[in-house]
Amino acid sequence: MEFLVISTLNGVVHGLLLFMVSAGLTLIFGMMGVLNFAHAWFYMIGAYIGFTCTRTIGFWPGLIAAPIIVGSLGVLIERFMLRRVHRFGHAHELLLTFGLAFIIEEVIKLFYGDFPVNYAMPSYMKFAAFTLYGIDYPFYRLFIGGVAILIFAVLYVLLVRTRVGLIVRAATLRPAMVEALGHNLPVVFMGVFATGAGLAGLAGAVAGAFFPTGPSMGVDFGTLVFVVVVVGGLGSLEGALLASLLIGLFMSFSVGFDGSLADLLGLVGLGDWARGTGGLLTLQLSTIAASTPFLLMLLVLLFRPAGLLGDRQ
Amino acid sequence: MSTVPTITARQLVLIVLGLAILAALPLVLSPSLVNAAIKMLIAALFALAFSLAMGQAGMLSFGHSAYYGLGAFAALHLMKAVEDHVLAWPTPFVPLVGAAAGLVAGIVFGWFATQRTGVYFAMVTLALAELLFTLAPTWNSLFGGESGISTMRMPSWALSFGNDVHVYYLTLGWVVVSAWCLWAFTRTPMGRLAVAMRENEHRVRFLGFDTHLARTLVFAISAMFTGVAGALLAVANEASNYTIFSAQASANVVLQTFIGGAGTFLGPALGAAVMTFFARVTSDLTRSWLLYQGLIFVLVMLFVPDGIGGLIALHARRLRGAAISRFVVPYLLCAAVGLLITAGVVFGVESVYVLLSDAYVAQRRAAGGAVVPYRLVGWTFDPLSPLTWSLAVVPVLLGGALLPLARARTLLAWDKAIHEAER
Repeated sequence: MEFLVISTLNGVVHGLLLFMVSAGLTLIFGMMGVLNFAHAWFYMIGAYIGFTCTRTIGFWPGLIAAPIIVGSLGVLIERFMLRRVHRFGHAHELLLTFGLAFIIEEVIKLFYGDFPVNYAMPSYMKFAAFTLYGIDYPFYRLFIGGVAILIFAVLYVLLVRTRVGLIVRAATLRPAMVEALGHNLPVVFMGVFATGAGLAGLAGAVAGAFFPTGPSMGVDFGTLVFVVVVVGGLGSLEGALLASLLIGLFMSFSVGFDGSLADLLGLVGLGDWARGTGGLLTLQLSTIAASTPFLLMLLVLLFRPAGLLGDRQ
Repeated sequence: MSTVPTITARQLVLIVLGLAILAALPLVLSPSLVNAAIKMLIAALFALAFSLAMGQAGMLSFGHSAYYGLGAFAALHLMKAVEDHVLAWPTPFVPLVGAAAGLVAGIVFGWFATQRTGVYFAMVTLALAELLFTLAPTWNSLFGGESGISTMRMPSWALSFGNDVHVYYLTLGWVVVSAWCLWAFTRTPMGRLAVAMRENEHRVRFLGFDTHLARTLVFAISAMFTGVAGALLAVANEASNYTIFSAQASANVVLQTFIGGAGTFLGPALGAAVMTFFARVTSDLTRSWLLYQGLIFVLVMLFVPDGIGGLIALHARRLRGAAISRFVVPYLLCAAVGLLITAGVVFGVESVYVLLSDAYVAQRRAAGGAVVPYRLVGWTFDPLSPLTWSLAVVPVLLGGALLPLARARTLLAWDKAIHEAER
């Protein structure tokens, strides 16, 4: 029971963190179709801005500065780089942003060094929210989850209930028609990209204070954010939330779960054969926790390519 | 536009000349450069194999490191078996097992991946490679865990394979034969079908072809030659670990292919060789070489979307019979602009790097917190002097000021040359 509760709690919080990082990519990749490989690196910039702000102007101003700065960076990248290569196709967008990811990581290493920096939350936020089975559960984990839920709510209302959201959703489906109706499509796309990048920056500033802030942040999330968006369904915000939670729970349960495929086969009397065969069948589930998101993405792409909650391919 | 590619007599001469130079290289190169040349050849083959799927068939695979790695590990297991005298297999034929591993993996993975197209195809291939990347460190029996597998090349056919020169000729032989096979494939009906599918898959399907099967086959052949490249890497390094499956490795080959020019046959090989050499040289010189590499990627994607190969092909195609002398001044001007901007940026980055390094901070502490001069490539600079920073800023500004002129002169020369060639 203890394992079940703790794993669920950790899984949900990890999932919400994942959603926070990938929410922006749902807009950028899911709606505009831009393969922005540098998204997780935007998240990293956000964390470093947060770190710099805690040293100078404080933690809370950092949470405001990070999305604004990263969003402005997004505007520049969209206007002067992505728009130029858009007509050459997806591969060029992907490679351009891949090069940008390189540059971002190296510039950060140049100024902040190769090792994680000491980005910490304010001391008054360091307390246990509650005690479960003798373990203090940090309040900040709940704070991260809360910010993620807030992002979801704001984005959802913005996209579904407002006129701006209506134009954005229409622009992804019928760009020519929206343009013919007199809307400035390039500005709409620039805004979407900036919002997506800014969200990643905010996520970095929030999560970086709890999880390590280091130059490997980008690589850690680099491909995982794509998994979330694809599994959830391109452009589906609810899908991204569902996918993040699923992946978070999958990972937290498989880390704590002691067993292998051979044990499972043992239930139907094939255990000895499986153990004799070895290889993949005897790998402990806990050691392959990192693989589960990619397995999930593969299954979704093969059997439901539109994603869990997506409605178009 | 889609005619069967042929080789003209002039190109044939160039190819024979190129092969002769490649064959003579070990006689003049130092041992460390021979090693670099081996890595360049392997990277070139990897890029050629990848561009069969990307350039010919239009399938953007974002997980080609899977087949590269599987080829490498297959070769390592074979070499280990030979080393333990379980099996007698001549070292020069080790890459065959890499080809087999790549082909089998390419058929199985490709069958799944080619059910999707475009971005979804890229995502399936990415997922497959990431799956291997995350599984490999824990799968000890097959991939040797985090440390990987290492083994030894065994002598065969009176060749010791103890030094890099033997390995160089082994690699060169396999790369040339594989490149020829890949070239020949583009000329077969199947190869033409791959191009047709890239242009319009629906029409090919309406013509009665099973496009899924055809795409699987093309992908598997690409994976097979990728496996050969991986096996050659295993032979050259005598070791490998799970990092060979990383998304970075997959992305690298995509980048090299596009820098070389995905629309030409030999362009990707050129791009891969150049970028491998660049990485080799700059990683020895500076810690910030990845930054420069990233800058090159971004600049090429922005300003030379057809890559180096595309640029060469453009010159060869459009300027036949035009006077080359017309381009001397404009291109020298362009080179000067490039050099100025590069020099300024490199000086600025390296200075910042030195000033923020732990060693410099320690120097300042030793000097009681005072700002001490720093050393860069043999000279000493004062960090507080405006003169120092003008060394970074002035070349960039000067280059930027000359850029419009260089641009205008180049465009003018092109206009005149095209006019001349058409006359």
